[in-house]
Amino acid sequence: MSKFWRTMLRNPGGVIGLTILLLAIAIAIFGPLLFPTSPWRMVQRPFLPPFTVPGLPLGTDALGRDVLAGIIYGARVSLLVGLVSTMAALAVGIPVGALAGYFGGKVGDALMRFTEFFQTVPSFALAIVLVAILQPSIVSIVLAIAIVSWPPVARLVRGEVLSLRTREYVQAAIVTGQSHSWIIWREILPNALSPVIVLASLMVATAILLESSLSFLGLGDPNLMSWGYMVGAGRTVIRQAWWITLFPGIAILLSVLALNLIGEGLNDAFNPRLNKEGR
Amino acid sequence: MLAFIAQRLAKAVVVLLAIVVLNFMLIRMAPGDPAMVMAGEAGASDQIFVTQLREKFGLDQPLPVQLYRYVKGIVTLDLGFSFRQQMPVAKLIAERLPATLLLTVTAFVISLLLGVLFGTLAARFAGTWADTAITIVALIFYATPLFWVALMAILLFSVAMDWLPSFGYETVGANYTGLAHVLDVGAHLILPATTMGLFFMATYARMTRASMLEVKRHDFVKTARAKGLRDAVIQRRHVLRNALLPVVTLAGLQAGTLVGGAVLTETVFAWPGIGRLMYEALLQRDYNLLLGVFVVCSAMVLAFNLITDLIYRAVDPRIEFAS
Amino acid sequence: MLKRVLLSLLVASALSTAAFAEEPKSGGVINAVIQPEPPGLMMGLVQNGPTQMVAGNIYEGLLRYSPKLEPLPGLAESWSVSEDGKTYTFKLRKGVTWHDGKPFTSADVVFSIEFLKQTHPRARGNFAPVDKIETPDDNTVIFNLKQPFGPFIGVFEVGSLPMIPKHIYEGTDFKTNPANNTPVGTGPFMFKEWQKGSFIRLVKNPSYYIKGLPHLDEIYWHVIPDAAARAVAFETGKVDVLPGGSVENFDVPRLSKLKNVCVTGAGWEFFSPLSWLWLNNRSGPTANKKFRQAVMYALDRNFAKDVIWNGLGKVATGPSSSSIKYYSSDVAKYDYDPAKAKALLKEAGYNGEKVRLLPLPYGETWQRWAEAVKQNLQDVGINVEMLSTDVAGWNQKTSEWDYDIAFTYVYQYGDPALGVSRTYVSSQIVKGNPFNNVEGYSNPDIDKLFADGAVAFPDAARKPFYDKAQKVLVDDVPVAWLLELQFPTITRCNVKNLITTAIGVNDGFRDAWLDK
Repeated sequence: MSKFWRTMLRNPGGVIGLTILLLAIAIAIFGPLLFPTSPWRMVQRPFLPPFTVPGLPLGTDALGRDVLAGIIYGARVSLLVGLVSTMAALAVGIPVGALAGYFGGKVGDALMRFTEFFQTVPSFALAIVLVAILQPSIVSIVLAIAIVSWPPVARLVRGEVLSLRTREYVQAAIVTGQSHSWIIWREILPNALSPVIVLASLMVATAILLESSLSFLGLGDPNLMSWGYMVGAGRTVIRQAWWITLFPGIAILLSVLALNLIGEGLNDAFNPRLNKEGR
Repeated sequence: MLAFIAQRLAKAVVVLLAIVVLNFMLIRMAPGDPAMVMAGEAGASDQIFVTQLREKFGLDQPLPVQLYRYVKGIVTLDLGFSFRQQMPVAKLIAERLPATLLLTVTAFVISLLLGVLFGTLAARFAGTWADTAITIVALIFYATPLFWVALMAILLFSVAMDWLPSFGYETVGANYTGLAHVLDVGAHLILPATTMGLFFMATYARMTRASMLEVKRHDFVKTARAKGLRDAVIQRRHVLRNALLPVVTLAGLQAGTLVGGAVLTETVFAWPGIGRLMYEALLQRDYNLLLGVFVVCSAMVLAFNLITDLIYRAVDPRIEFAS
Repeated sequence: MLKRVLLSLLVASALSTAAFAEEPKSGGVINAVIQPEPPGLMMGLVQNGPTQMVAGNIYEGLLRYSPKLEPLPGLAESWSVSEDGKTYTFKLRKGVTWHDGKPFTSADVVFSIEFLKQTHPRARGNFAPVDKIETPDDNTVIFNLKQPFGPFIGVFEVGSLPMIPKHIYEGTDFKTNPANNTPVGTGPFMFKEWQKGSFIRLVKNPSYYIKGLPHLDEIYWHVIPDAAARAVAFETGKVDVLPGGSVENFDVPRLSKLKNVCVTGAGWEFFSPLSWLWLNNRSGPTANKKFRQAVMYALDRNFAKDVIWNGLGKVATGPSSSSIKYYSSDVAKYDYDPAKAKALLKEAGYNGEKVRLLPLPYGETWQRWAEAVKQNLQDVGINVEMLSTDVAGWNQKTSEWDYDIAFTYVYQYGDPALGVSRTYVSSQIVKGNPFNNVEGYSNPDIDKLFADGAVAFPDAARKPFYDKAQKVLVDDVPVAWLLELQFPTITRCNVKNLITTAIGVNDGFRDAWLDK
């Protein structure tokens, strides 16, 4: 494991990503404690540019709300949406993929048809429809993102399980009469985990982007200040007040970038051979 | 080969029907119906008005009857009638489909070319700062909301520089013909296609890089190197060609995502395609139209997947056509 | 005996020449924005805003209305009302033809009313008091009313009564008639082409019955779904006309500062859009009058006007907009007073029950407004949860009464009997309609005042009823009135004489011309 971290920390992209992400997490956890005022409160005149009024370093938005407060509170919402929807997607994708890969045959075929079905419907379109049906709220958004993002997990896990299943130690477990669930949970999945972790880090990033795209189309949760909401709300006034859109846009950019860099870093760390013979 | 295609087609039909039924039910779960929307927009309404509309749209029938009618239509390739636009859905989609195809295919080509280029470069310098820098550049567009990049591009290239048109498919009223028309559409296409292409580029860059690194470890590359072939030749002739296989698969899987990106791009650039048509149909609860777009998009994704599979099999002789 | 009441052609043309001293120039193409794309252009079947805006150039009504809501000649060149207020006689203009060359006659008028009674909810109400219609000759239409109906002279503009060609629609199924895709009217412009998702093209009617009109050759209506992109299209000179509401309010000040750009709030007098919050009078805290009054005091409506609407519009004083008939400002005033609101909440016995707030899903301005209102209400201690929905969901929730507080805005159609009473009289408490008495307010006194006001004759006799009704309503706060909205029309300054009537751009580009 320490070898893993050493490889990871030697990867400059991974380090940058990790640093940014830790910072974002720290803001999400501690920021609201330091900034007790609600980000929805109208604190000053609207459209104050950044760095002009003390206490409002990033300026105010169209209603005179503090942009910095919005970004701090938004970190919590955006990261949470990313994390929870990814967890939900994993909770569906891993079992489906594992079962399909392990049992194969008719069961596997049926499960893969099911997965394929979800992959065939354009995912963003399906997410829009789902949120519109359930009406925009944090729950419906997380649900919609999870529903459209689990199929790749299932495919990935199935592939891993298919190849692991033929390994000797798994075959040995089957011969010694271990139960299916024990084999899947204790023998196969732990060894299939590394690519899933890589994929998950990328999924969190995609989820944050999806949330912002939904917000852009007016399908965000109206009670929660998220970065996507801020960009969406600011875009109509982008010509008068660039800062309302720019700063949350940068926040999204940085965290999504960070997660992607971490994903790459993890990938290289899990497959150390790739790098060495790279040249 | 033919058997393989037939089998795939049969499966595709089943998936397609499932999509129809599921979405049919889903869409009707949404609050409100097209009669309600139209009544709301009329600025005045009464019970007779709404009832008339529902009768006209066939929404007064029980749900199973509506579903039966719809599926029956689909089987005979009849996508039904758009409530709102009072036109056959097939005609509406046919009007809009070329624009979306042009946009997505161009964006796809851009993303693929740039992605493979960046990915190859990154793989060549894997593990160095150059690798990181290339990766980050490729990722920046992927990490930025598509609509945000689109707005910035409009501000920069249309408003500030006035180089490119900011909206639409062609210069309305100019009535260009021949080459002038092609150039006109081309000018309108640059911003939306590039925006979309840059967004999807990162995926291909990552995949190309990973798969090139993977391929390089294979024996045939080592053999080639041992034979003393020049690096560039190895890259081009052996590594890239083999590394592109997974990229092709990925491209197939990305087809659906591309349509999603089209919704956003078409909205910002007023591109008259089916992505926007779908979103508007959803808001207006134009059930038939929405379902129609879903069916057509899904069919396209399935077709695209099939094509990529065939390409894959053509390029890689190791795979046989039994499934 | 009939008494000639109004305007000859002479007076009207004298007025309009006085309005512009410059000599109109002929020719040119105008590019305008239409948002959202209309569902159809057959005005008899579809009445939504964008349809009226585009098709107002193709179809015409019998009358037009001045910004003060006085009738002007349209397809009717003169009209008169009998002494008892029960007979209206219209003389139609001679030599008018449909776009396909067939003559327009009184039979078309009768047919149009029959048609619209089947398809147009407002026309159904407007023509309910008509007992019978006579057509002594091709150019005369006489309406005999069951009883005097004060607002009757106000129901003949193109949106309320577009003339529909009898020879095309008679004996057909109106809704599936293929002619719906190629609308035929009598108007100054003819339908030419519609590329769905891109643009609608209208061309000059060369045989229009007023010599020399229209001045323009063509109009392109561009469909641009994104508000920011619409603003850019105007800035980069690709479009010349942004009709009211087609860009976000935040963009208005910036666009109006550009060179050669003119802005006007005129052209909405007939609609006089008034915004308010539906307060559900049936259940929850909003059923309590004191709570509703507290809401009125809690709202900082001047902030909304200045910040969210950029100073456009007016703070509403009550159920009538100040630009329609029988408006009275002699009513209770509700200034922004959080302390008073808190006191009233206490009296109402409100103890923090959750109140759902439903915004209007019409773009960013409305979303920002809902956020500001939520803050206002939270500041006085009301526990607000904001909901989110799209247009379909909003219509469903309001017309099925599934809300606590909901945003809306409603057209008033110039007369309290046409656009105001429907919100407050108890006979209008019917589910399934987002424009009637959605709040569930029921007061027999109000029912009687509005009923009497509608049929009193002559006009002066109607006033006392409406004065009283406004007073009672403002005390009861059945809904929380917000602002009289103004939707500015933004044009290049060389687009001349575009807005001449009370329905503005909807009355078409008949008189508009382009200064090159």
